[in-house]
Amino acid sequence: MNCTRRNFLIGGSTTLFFSGYFPKISFASMQKKNLIIISLRGGMDGLTAVPVIGDKRLKKLRKKLILEDVLNLNSDFGLHPKLEIFHKLWQKNQAAFVHATNIPYTGRSHFDGQNLMETGAHIPYKEKTGWLGRGLLASNIIGKGLAISLPMPLLLRGVPQNNNFFPSPDFVETKLIDQIYNEFKGEHNELIKSTLDTIRQRPLSMQIATDSDDRKKLALEAAKQLKDQSGPRVAVFDLDGFDTHAAQGGVDGAHADELEEVNKIVTILHENLGQAFDNTLILTLTEFGRTIKQNGGYGTEHGYGSAILMAGGLLKKSQVYTDWPGLKKKELFEGRDLNSTIDSRAVYNSAMSVCFNQDPEFLRKEVFWGDELPDLSQDLFKI
Amino acid sequence: MSLNFYRRVAFGLSPNEKPYKDPLNWAINQLDRIPDLLWPGTIPTEKDLRKKYGEWVYGDREVLRKKFKNDKHAYRKAKDELRIKTGERYFELNEHAIRHFQTKYSKQPVFERFWLFWGNHFAISEKDFLAEFSTGPYQREIIRPNMVKTFEEMVQSVTTSWCMIHHLDNSESFGPNSKKGMEWGETINENHARELLELHTVSPNAGYTQEDVIQLAYIMTGWAHKWDRKNLETGDIWFDQEMHQKGDKIVLGVKYKNDAKRELAKVIHDLATHPICIKFVSTKLCRHFITDEPTEEMIDPVIEAWNKSNGSLIEIHKAVITQAYKYNEITHKFHPPEIWLMQLSRMFDLNIPLSFEKMNYTFKSKPNNRQRQLSWILREIGHSPYRAKQPNGWSDLEVDWVSPELLLRRFWFASVELPMLVKSGNRSHGFILSCLKNNFEDHKNMASLIDNFRFGTSDYDLGQKYGVICNLPGVLKI
Repeated sequence: MNCTRRNFLIGGSTTLFFSGYFPKISFASMQKKNLIIISLRGGMDGLTAVPVIGDKRLKKLRKKLILEDVLNLNSDFGLHPKLEIFHKLWQKNQAAFVHATNIPYTGRSHFDGQNLMETGAHIPYKEKTGWLGRGLLASNIIGKGLAISLPMPLLLRGVPQNNNFFPSPDFVETKLIDQIYNEFKGEHNELIKSTLDTIRQRPLSMQIATDSDDRKKLALEAAKQLKDQSGPRVAVFDLDGFDTHAAQGGVDGAHADELEEVNKIVTILHENLGQAFDNTLILTLTEFGRTIKQNGGYGTEHGYGSAILMAGGLLKKSQVYTDWPGLKKKELFEGRDLNSTIDSRAVYNSAMSVCFNQDPEFLRKEVFWGDELPDLSQDLFKI
Repeated sequence: MSLNFYRRVAFGLSPNEKPYKDPLNWAINQLDRIPDLLWPGTIPTEKDLRKKYGEWVYGDREVLRKKFKNDKHAYRKAKDELRIKTGERYFELNEHAIRHFQTKYSKQPVFERFWLFWGNHFAISEKDFLAEFSTGPYQREIIRPNMVKTFEEMVQSVTTSWCMIHHLDNSESFGPNSKKGMEWGETINENHARELLELHTVSPNAGYTQEDVIQLAYIMTGWAHKWDRKNLETGDIWFDQEMHQKGDKIVLGVKYKNDAKRELAKVIHDLATHPICIKFVSTKLCRHFITDEPTEEMIDPVIEAWNKSNGSLIEIHKAVITQAYKYNEITHKFHPPEIWLMQLSRMFDLNIPLSFEKMNYTFKSKPNNRQRQLSWILREIGHSPYRAKQPNGWSDLEVDWVSPELLLRRFWFASVELPMLVKSGNRSHGFILSCLKNNFEDHKNMASLIDNFRFGTSDYDLGQKYGVICNLPGVLKI
């Protein structure tokens, strides 16, 4: 049971309610499943996160970016040492990776790419809603989206009554919110009114001022909300800084710092979701991967194919799921980037079908305009 | 006429202004000439700032990255020093001060609202170091002088400005049959051509095809920054014939004969005077000043003024204001956070921006917290003007500005930050009441909501008062 602002304020009667008879309901049959998306803006380098082992060409092209102390996954792939939690979960069949994958976008522009990774469309800026928002709407799951960012991310748009958590630098008094709410009562301003309703019904813990730059606190709160059986079913995190044109480094460079942030969020979610982690899927999302070859600043340029990092109890098993295209010059996209052999939208569509209890065919039509996206649920997830 | 008209088309009335006898004329008379920039501090030129931009990228990319390629800590330290030296952390703060000083004190606040509108129509989104060095001067030197010319002239200036060309990658667009395109095996970058059609002129309503985009990109090839080893991409814009696609081009059914640099002006003329462009931009203007979904009835007189005057922005602006006046009592408009902040600053004479003496920068250390304050507030309320996320600029729709946290940020600003920005002579209850009276019909009702705190002048008391009155339905939305 979560303490909301309302029942906190009416504390007396709540106590009374708790002390009275509480009907026993079994939740086991209707366990809520959580879907968490972490957006990695700037272009996450799949070959740094999940490096292919023993590829001579890669070693040659990335002399200064080669990782030592790679964590072992299988005979073909390793894992960046900063992604410790994924390695730990891998042992328990709770981490997996899709490799050589991307949205069907090859333009190498951050803005177009990020727009498309969120809308799931083919033409930048054409669609005004996100694939996740449309998936929730099609599944009739309303008011269950939680964004960990200031504006409502495009990814979640398309379904009403989403909440977001990105607290202001200081506390806003309940009294003030209530007073403004009262003034809006007689107004015909449905959007602001319903948003004020959302604000007033937010759990007290979401009202407390914190440092929005502190991703740890944000993740902690998200875990708390997601754990609640009546809380959000979807959460969206936003990370940036993956655009490492310089000093990308290996074990300890700029890209490693960003991966460490991902690791931190997943660690906190894992620790604090408790049992709910078994009914959770965490997936990353990025606009493109990076070039194979290092550039003059020991960084990499915008590329194409990347990887999806996955964690959670709803994964079928630990695996690197890939149709590996190879890294020889002619196997690369335009001779420079890891190719994409799996449309990453197929992964997201399948994940939504699992978490929202929906037919993937139905979602594919409702969310992705019937694009050819194979159902990967059987291969990747527990169904 | 309701007092909210002063907020609909401007920023409300400051304490030393009184409601005007003829508000429509008051507004319309502000549009014929360009008001001077009032900021008494430094106003650097676009060219100066581009030079700083060059020093910064050259220093970072060509010097530091190479020097410290194996030591990210030393690299970061050296980079921070370079930031200070080149003003990389300072100029955007200064631009925000110039902008907010203008909207607060301008005698032509209606003109300033149009300035904000056009700067956002031809938006420069967050990319590379544009917000740090270029977007501000672009607003001052490209957008502003064109506001008394024609829309077509504005599009010409914007399209060939360094800032827009860099923003939309036209320097990387090579005609595949041009000399350099053939030599280097390069081809077009469609980015700028697509946005010129989609965002700046005709919009997708014109039904252009991918082939139209490609053909327009061909026409635009060659308009690029002059690259050299020292200035890198920060050189002036010129027309490089060796990048230009040869041959005739066809855009939206119109043939443009092979005519080198003259092709661009011709196609812009056709795009900027296209009926669909006129309707698209007129609708956007009405959306900004009247309501989110303006009707044809509201828009038509603006289109008419446009046609009659051959796209004179002065006449177009006057028509928009006339319509805003006409529909003032029966339409509503939700203002995005920055305009709300500007209105509060003008109506309550807040200490925004910081005085120019205190904004002075010595390039020896990081800008201090006071200097960063305005930009920090803008970021915290979710509307950093020169950092739109996408080339389509900041949204003008209520739905994009109403999320739980975005509303809470406004409550936070008004109740926690704003009291610290109230001038020492303005802390009395009487001052608030007179500002309310100056700007709101229902000032008595508003006053009754804060009456409990009438004796209080502490930051806390002021927070209680401003927290409520700045977020009332009639303040968030006129």
